[in-house]
Amino acid sequence: MFRSHILWLIIGWIGWAIVPWYGFASTRRPATGDWPPSGLLAGLGDAPWLLPLALFLALPVPFVLARSRHTGLALIVGGLGGLVWMMLEGSAITHKGWAWASLAGLFGRLPEGQPGMGFGAMITALAFLFFFTMGLAARGAMKGDRFTTGAIGFLVASIALFVFWPVSTVFSQAMLPDGDISGATALYNRLTARDIWSLGCITGDTRCGVVWNSVVLGTLCGVITTVLGLAFALVAARTDFPYQRALRLLSVLPIITPPFVIGLAVILLFGRNGTVTLFLAENFGLTATRWIYGLPGILLTQTLAFTPIAFLVLIGVVQGIAPSMEEAAQTLRAGRWQTFRRVTWPLMRPGLANAFLVGFIESLADFGNPLVMGGGYEVLSTKIFYAVVGAQNDPGRAAALGIVLLALCVGAFLVQHRWVGSGSYTTVGGKGFAGTPAELPVWLKRAVYGTAIPWAAFTFLLYGLILYGGFVENWGRNNTFTLRHYVTAFGLDWNQYGLLWTGRAWNSLFTTLEVSAIAAPLTAALGLITAYLLVRQRFAGRATFEFMTMLSFAIPGTVIGVAYILAFNQPPVELTGTAAILVVCFVFRNMPVSIRAGVASMSQLDKNLDECALTLGANSAQTIRRVIVPLLRPAIVAALVYSFVRAITSVSAVIFLVSARHDMATSYIVGRVEIGDFGLAIAYSSVLVVLMGLAIIFIQWAVGERRIARPTPQAPAARAQEVAA
Amino acid sequence: MTESAKKIGGVEFRSVSRRYGKVTAVDQISFKVEPGTLVTLLGPSGCGKTTTLRMIAGLEAPSEGTILIGGRDVTLLPATDRDVTMVFQSYALFPHMNVLDNVAFGLEVSGVPKAQREAQAMQGLAMVGLAGFENRLPSELSGGQQQRVAVARALVLEPEVLLFDEPLSNLDAKLRRKMRDDIRELQSKLGLTSVYVTHDQEEALAVSDRIIVMNRAVIAQEGSPSDLYRRPVSRFVADFMGISNLLDGIVIARADGRVKVRCGEATLDLPAPTATAADDVTVAIRPQGIRLEAEAAPDRLPVTVRKATYLGSHLEYVLDSDAGELFVVDPTSERAVPPGSGAWAAFRHDGVALVPRGE
Amino acid sequence: MTLATRRTALAATALLGLTLGSAAARADDLVVYCGVQEEWCQAMMNAFTKETGIKVAMTRKSAGETYAQVKAEGSNPKGDVWWGGTGDAFLQAAEDGLLAEYKSPKLAELHPWAQRQAADAQYRAVGIYAGGLGFAVNTEILAKKKVKEPTCWADLVKPEFKGEIQIANPNSSGTAYATLATLVQIFGENPAFDYMKKLHGNVSQYTKSGAAPAVAAGRGEASVGIVFMHDAVVQTINGFPVKTVAPCEGTGYEVGSMGIIKGGPNPELAKKFYEFALTPKAQATAEQAKSYQVQANVATPISEHAPRLEKVKLIDYDFKKFGSAAERKRLLSRWDNEIGNLR
Repeated sequence: MFRSHILWLIIGWIGWAIVPWYGFASTRRPATGDWPPSGLLAGLGDAPWLLPLALFLALPVPFVLARSRHTGLALIVGGLGGLVWMMLEGSAITHKGWAWASLAGLFGRLPEGQPGMGFGAMITALAFLFFFTMGLAARGAMKGDRFTTGAIGFLVASIALFVFWPVSTVFSQAMLPDGDISGATALYNRLTARDIWSLGCITGDTRCGVVWNSVVLGTLCGVITTVLGLAFALVAARTDFPYQRALRLLSVLPIITPPFVIGLAVILLFGRNGTVTLFLAENFGLTATRWIYGLPGILLTQTLAFTPIAFLVLIGVVQGIAPSMEEAAQTLRAGRWQTFRRVTWPLMRPGLANAFLVGFIESLADFGNPLVMGGGYEVLSTKIFYAVVGAQNDPGRAAALGIVLLALCVGAFLVQHRWVGSGSYTTVGGKGFAGTPAELPVWLKRAVYGTAIPWAAFTFLLYGLILYGGFVENWGRNNTFTLRHYVTAFGLDWNQYGLLWTGRAWNSLFTTLEVSAIAAPLTAALGLITAYLLVRQRFAGRATFEFMTMLSFAIPGTVIGVAYILAFNQPPVELTGTAAILVVCFVFRNMPVSIRAGVASMSQLDKNLDECALTLGANSAQTIRRVIVPLLRPAIVAALVYSFVRAITSVSAVIFLVSARHDMATSYIVGRVEIGDFGLAIAYSSVLVVLMGLAIIFIQWAVGERRIARPTPQAPAARAQEVAA
Repeated sequence: MTESAKKIGGVEFRSVSRRYGKVTAVDQISFKVEPGTLVTLLGPSGCGKTTTLRMIAGLEAPSEGTILIGGRDVTLLPATDRDVTMVFQSYALFPHMNVLDNVAFGLEVSGVPKAQREAQAMQGLAMVGLAGFENRLPSELSGGQQQRVAVARALVLEPEVLLFDEPLSNLDAKLRRKMRDDIRELQSKLGLTSVYVTHDQEEALAVSDRIIVMNRAVIAQEGSPSDLYRRPVSRFVADFMGISNLLDGIVIARADGRVKVRCGEATLDLPAPTATAADDVTVAIRPQGIRLEAEAAPDRLPVTVRKATYLGSHLEYVLDSDAGELFVVDPTSERAVPPGSGAWAAFRHDGVALVPRGE
Repeated sequence: MTLATRRTALAATALLGLTLGSAAARADDLVVYCGVQEEWCQAMMNAFTKETGIKVAMTRKSAGETYAQVKAEGSNPKGDVWWGGTGDAFLQAAEDGLLAEYKSPKLAELHPWAQRQAADAQYRAVGIYAGGLGFAVNTEILAKKKVKEPTCWADLVKPEFKGEIQIANPNSSGTAYATLATLVQIFGENPAFDYMKKLHGNVSQYTKSGAAPAVAAGRGEASVGIVFMHDAVVQTINGFPVKTVAPCEGTGYEVGSMGIIKGGPNPELAKKFYEFALTPKAQATAEQAKSYQVQANVATPISEHAPRLEKVKLIDYDFKKFGSAAERKRLLSRWDNEIGNLR
């Protein structure tokens, strides 16, 4: 008998017997009392199908109390039975009564259906899930580790609920019959459409298929962001560049910028009427063209936007390479270049592969930049968006395009796997961490400086312009100073009733901050736990599990948005119109980056460290908290920052999920950009940038740095180096 | 850890196997570790000894069989819940914690109050001679110091069973000698049940109450250090225990619990071994079991001295004979027989063992 | 600063976020999906709340987005009223049975085009404003290039406009689809497609959003944008050198509409809003919010900036035919094959 068994039994009973069963916010159902009924009360009332759950909750009790040898089996049966029963009753009885007419014939008509499941149902379902996983652990699964089985069970269940189910709902639309064409033929037609695969731009004078556009863009974006990210990571970690902090801040700026804004700035600089274009046209007699629209523009803005992500992935890797290995190489008579190429570079390879994958997939799924900069260059994500919301209104086509996009991302994922292979990259061992990083070869240092510094300067220029744009009447035409845009967005008033938030942006700003602040820690936590399971645990179906976690990342936001509405608009799981649907969407969309960051960092930690903690009596949760988490601080910062910022800046899925009560900043800004009110859009974005910047500083301060060596005089290793130097 | 946890339990394996896919790392092994003793798992790398150790710790789950600790079936119990600690080959010191926090970690996660656990940790550090180092980070310690921190960390939990996974392999020879003596001393002082993994037979002989020699996923032989050294049951064990002289022999007569073995030109009269019934045998002779004599005898082998080395405390010879090359350690004589001269090799009967020919 | 303090700080921030958020998420009543510009949406909702005391929760989305959402939510609607946005989407939603039938007593007060929209939608929607298609012309650029301002559809295919024209992609934009339908109705289908093939040579970009060509014209990225005239006016008001032109051959128009979502949570409040939205008082909010469409109620004063529809040669736009899903799909796939596919 374990305390956790007792604990979850109690939680399960509380969830069923006390907590309101239905609804998260308000339900329209209880006409009588204010307090909505629990599962028990509803079961005794007009929802008798909730009563059998007591059976499954009761089944393990005697076994657990008697410390029976069969406790594990009882927990498995109770947990699985409860879950299956909840699924059955949930899908059979909707808000309108029986889901299938045949059931009405069997059991008689229902006076009314049941609303969506709420807190009570959620708690009970969780308890059943953990019964099941604890039962498996008691039967010896995962070396009997309750935390590991529980974590796997929880992740699999939530990914099934929040990724698989909605996605399969929307993909089933790809097989909707098209007029009198049957489902299968329609699917085939949609998947092989000429506008997806055509090679006309090479062989003739028509356009190339949208797939080729996306692939070219994604590959270029992945390569360029990885190279730039690496350059920044090397400058930050391996050189004595004097303005490290400024460099790091600048490299992180684009990631905290709402979509469209970079695009706007680029247009205002390089568009046909842009500042730079006009300057060149006037001074060098070049013809002003619209070259920026299309591939160059998308690539430029995407590179600006995604380089920081590559940087965040790679900085942990570069910092994690034990300098002693490079020192070892140098003592083996390797020069700086040989050391870099033969030791440092191979050690960085998993990180590079991860960075490329992230860049490629980000580019494929990106929506905001192609929208603004695309010109005639069509990519999959925008095509999907307009297949859903555009004049065609063809969800079947959208779903088919979604399948193609998903296949591309999966392909990238497999290639990455092959390239990284199964080498061992453990460099932070249990023997401490000694030595200083090797200096870069001179020419590499020059190359790195030559890449990172101009890029940083360019970014800096763009941001200066963006900031400036919020303070002028009409950027590019009327450059008089004004605070008008800020007052419109963030006006405050004070009257006898107290403070009035009169600005137009307050509402969406508060929702945005709330949702992001809730989503970020959840995303980071789930992502790192997943990374832990992937790196540290061996279990059947691990590869499938890894694939599942990457899935939501590969699906474009537009598809996810529509999928969520289709899946979560009606019971049993009704979330539309709540803030919860936004939080859930962000968590599962942004989790893959946390996972990647965690995997990259964790594969550099000696496995003995956590095994040792286990043998010292720490359970898995304690091991993670006390040993792994402190050593993963860089990855945690990356995960938190990324998920917080992405929740604030994402737009494609959000457009579908915002509701009247929960509007988000980006969907507000999109509206301003659409009508050309750049001033307000830029002012609002500037505020968001500043807020996110502060948030990043706060996160870094709150999580703290990883401290595994210190440069104190009594450290023999450090002293030895000083002597050597 | 309260007073009641002072009880010392043994370890028992009952037909335990561990398979990874098609590879069998440990095949149906059974053994017992008596409470309070130190047992070494000895064998070449890949023999399954580390897997066995990790199964005791709960870091690997057996594919089949039963593991008991202190008489309790722990086969399905996770590492966390086992009263077993381990000293890792890499030490696995938590690089972000100072020495004191490292040592106190196990106490901390089992909920011992801060003052008490720090006192206990200080005690543990004092025990391994590291008082005064508590505020250092692991990266600020030498290898030997790191190793002692790892030992202290495992000791302060007063575990039912203490495991060592090649704990000395990262140390230099002198330190290794000292550390192994320290470990042995601590273990017997505290009366801890310990399981020790090493591939170094000398280390195994020095620290163990009993030794289990493993080879290719099974137990090759189990016994006290002197048993193994004096009475190996197979050529593999004899070789692995450092008995370097392995000559082919043929049994020519068996009677009254003794056998006559022909080995080259010599005929040896030996106590009958338990292990072999076949006539083709390998004669395993310890380097100390051979003396050089000037006169011939039926149980002596004619040899030529190829090399003689004077090492202060003893002499070492390499001899050529018809039966093969012989390596001899002679602690008695002061004067070396010069290389090139002929002599007769005489065998001390307690220095010779018979094992089946072949493996 | 110890770790404990940091953790406390982290927790405190999370808590603060929660409180701020819940302060913003008030318990609202009427849920409105708004399809016009954000300022107008805000002004309209404020006016309604001031008038009736009923609180409104409003989301602003484009017509296509709202249609997709209403359709997805169809089995369990979350919204009450869909107010504003191009009429096609409403006709489609009415065709799909997503909107509730309602005949307002104020129908008689409305312009004929608004009443006709109601009739076309079987009274599941009603027209609330209208806007004609036209050109947003950047006078500065044309003056610099010494090109005469276009006044007719036919002008746009002249060689001097090469690379100077922007129009939205009809696959993504209702505005561009309206243009496509208008051209078909003016010239007949085959000549219209011939015209668009010629126009293709002059088009620098098919934008995604319908209003984007106006923005581009304002910024000088293009010299002519084919847009709704009220979108062009916004650019002029915002200080860009944009002139609004109504084509001489005649032009089509959109009827921005309103409908009550079928099965929404607050049908009674929805009707109140519906009635309010048809009053001159409500429609006057448009001008305050810099929206210059012509309002449906005859009594609403027409803004001085608004392009006067009576001075524009409006065609007799067949909303019923060109709003139907089948005709739309047919025209769009023909456009895709003959024009969208060209390099």
